Parts: sequence; structure tokens; C-alpha cells
Amino acid sequence: MQVQPYIPAMKLFRSRKRRIDEASLPARPTLAQREAHAIDAQLASRAAAGDDSAFTTLVTRYQPAVFRWSLMFANDPDEAEDIAQEVFVRAHRRLSQYRSDGSLEAWFYAVTRRAANQMRRKAKRRTRLALSPGARPAREVYTTDPGGRVDRERATALIHEMFSNLPPRQREIFDLIDLQGLTPVEVADRTGMKPASVRANLFKARKSIRARFLATHPSYSELRK
Amino acid sequence: MTCEECLSALETESLREMTADSAVIQHCATCPDCARVTTMVRDKEYETATVLNSLPPMSDPLTVAETAGVTDQRRRVGGVVVTLSAIAGAIVIWIVSATMVVPGLYRAGVIGNGPRPTGLRTETMQLSCLSPQQAADIINPYVQGQGSTYFILRSGIPAITVRGTPGELAKSRDLLAKFERDPNAACRVAETRLRTTMKAVDRAFEDANRDRDAAPSPGPQNLKGPGLLGSGGASLLNADKATTPTKKK
Repeated sequence: MQVQPYIPAMKLFRSRKRRIDEASLPARPTLAQREAHAIDAQLASRAAAGDDSAFTTLVTRYQPAVFRWSLMFANDPDEAEDIAQEVFVRAHRRLSQYRSDGSLEAWFYAVTRRAANQMRRKAKRRTRLALSPGARPAREVYTTDPGGRVDRERATALIHEMFSNLPPRQREIFDLIDLQGLTPVEVADRTGMKPASVRANLFKARKSIRARFLATHPSYSELRK
Repeated sequence: MTCEECLSALETESLREMTADSAVIQHCATCPDCARVTTMVRDKEYETATVLNSLPPMSDPLTVAETAGVTDQRRRVGGVVVTLSAIAGAIVIWIVSATMVVPGLYRAGVIGNGPRPTGLRTETMQLSCLSPQQAADIINPYVQGQGSTYFILRSGIPAITVRGTPGELAKSRDLLAKFERDPNAACRVAETRLRTTMKAVDRAFEDANRDRDAAPSPGPQNLKGPGLLGSGGASLLNADKATTPTKKK
């Protein structure tokens, strides 16, 4: 008679948990990603040493991404530009703190997140201190490109329509996952949250956003009846 | 899948993960109403993603990099200036406190063993009933202010000296006066007894006098003997009559 080896329940649980954890780990970086990471690390070390051209290259590489992330923290593209500028000011100072073992993209995301949150807090304080809502000057940015202006107005309208009532965290997670295409594990890695919390926030955000979409659709109410 | 289930799934599920063989898409292939709603949601999210992802930053990267460098430099200098200002401010505060504030507080008696604060008065209160120690026990809780105190005279004089604010002095005075006036105070017991005894004696004398006055006095008709008006007394009355002038007819 063959005797089955005894596996303690706790050991079994641990091995299962390890399998689940491994499944939720981010995918291994590709060769192109590793190359990009090496270039980033080199540029960052040169920029930290005071090389202005390396810093300019870094800004050129990351400005669109930083601006895109800032859009989700801001209420309009002009505010996003301010946040992006602030991010690069901070990066210029703290680039020496960047450790090349991590992704520079994730580092820039963390800087953007912190800068946006601080600017939001400052703006709130300023709004509270202002005598009246009219005391705040209206944002008027001169844009020579009419098409660009239309795009920016459209983006502002969309942000207000979709995300105005959403808490900042849900807004951020919905954008990263549903609009930018990141996985919950990647988002968890970037934001420092647990994947389960990311999924819970995503669930709430989707429900809130889609409920607003669906409420405007005539077929939806009929189907609900 | 029913329309209800399809709409519930549509509220929370990822549209990107919905493949052609998913239940929602298969239901939408047969239900035109659900298909319309699903398409609307998908289009809205796609449009939003397209608009936001394709919006380029307006600023030139060169300008951004240059501005970042200049702003960072300015902030560094600003940080140094702020730090130096803070140190200078701390030094100024230290000097001012060492030369003006601390001596002032010392003079006012708030800190150290300097002179007592002004506004305190000293008063000696005479005691007729209470002992100085009793008086001290009574006023002690009320004389607790900064610099306030009391002194018990060692020479045995029945008095207590109180030092305190006018309010504390008034309170002590009132309290002592109240206890001094109390007729049940220990020092007044003998006096009270004496007074009671004297009152009782007075009352007894009064009662005796009243009884004597109320008893019937012996009149001239009742007197058996000559009495005070019998012999000598009558002659005295007669003498009065003799001297009375007679009426002329």
C-alpha cells in the first residue's frame, strides 16, 4: 500500500498563497523595456551630476507621460501643465535620490502624484482664504493653435463630465486602468496600494461613472423597467 | 443572460476584457436595446481615452527643462535665505528675551526669587475668640495667590497677619469676622452661660416683684389695729384739715 506524504494544512495554504502571489506579479520586463531602463538610468545619473542636456532629454522623454498623468489630477489641461512643470522642478532637485534599480517612469509617477496632491491642498487653502469665488482670476491661456484649443476645451469638458464627482483615488485608478491600459498589479505597484484595494476602487469608480452614462441613455431606463 | 443581468454586468465590468465569447457580448448580439447601451458606454470611454491620451502638452520641453533648472536654483537660494532668516530671528528673540523679557519677569516675581508682585497688601487682623492657628486654618484655602501668605505671631498676641490681594484680604476679614461673631464658638461658651444665668436671675426677681404687687393690700376698713393711719396718722390728716381754709358764708 502506498502511503501519501503528510502535508500540514498551513504548508498547503502557504504554497497555494505563493502560487496566487506569483500570478499577481507583474510580467518580466522585455528586452526593449530593459534597454529603455538602462538609458533612463544613464540619463538620470548624468542629469543628477549637473548635465543640463541629459536633463533636457529626460524632460523630452517624459513630458507627455507626466502631462497625461497630471491631467487626471487636475481639473483642466492648464492646471495639468502647472503640475507637470512642478514635477520637473522637483525632479531637477531630487534626481540624485533616484535609485537606478527601479523604473524611472514609476519614480516620475510618484513625484507627479505627490506634487499634484500638494498643489491641490494649496489650491484648496487658497480658495478658502479668498474673499469670494470671484476673487480667483479666471484661467486664460493664449493658444495660437485653434485645433489645440478645441481639443483642450473638449478635454476639460470630459474631465468635468466624467470625474468631477469622483474621489481622487478612484479617479486615478480608473484612468490608469481603463483609460491608459495598465493592469491592477502595475497600478498597485505604482500607487503603493494593495491589488485588492485597487480592484475595489476600480469597481466603485466604474459603477459611479457608468451609472452617470447610463442614466442619460433612454433605452437603459426602459430596460431597467 | 437576461437584460437585467447584462446591465448589471455592464455597470462594473471591464469593457476591454469583454471578448466575443463573453456572456454580455453574446447577449448583445441578440438584444438590440442592450447592444445600444453597451455601444454607448464603450464609445464614451473610448472617446474619453482618445481625447485625454492624444492631448499633447503645450509647453516646449526645452523651456520646461530650462524653467525647472532656474526655478530649482531660485528655490535653493530661497531655502538658504529662509534658513538664515530663521536663525537670525531665533538669535534676535533670544537676545530680546535675555535682555528684556526675562529680567522683566524676574522683577515682576513671575520667575525666580525676585520681589513679590505688586498689588499685594498686608493687614493684621485682631482676634478676640479664635486662636491664630484656627484663624490660619480657616483662611488658608483663600490665600493661595502668587506671593500671598499669612503669618502667625509667635509672641502669643491674638492676631494674624495676612498678605494678599485686596480680594483675598476682604475674604479673610469676612471669614474671621463671621467666626468671631458666632455665639456658639468655643471661646464664647462661658460668657453665654453667665448671660443665661443672669437672665434667669433677673426673670426670677421680676416674677417675685410681680407676685407681690398682685397680692391684695390691707385697706383702712380691714385693719383691726390702729395701723399706720390710726393714731398718729389721723392727727396728721386732721392737722391737714385744720390748716384748710374754711368757706365763708
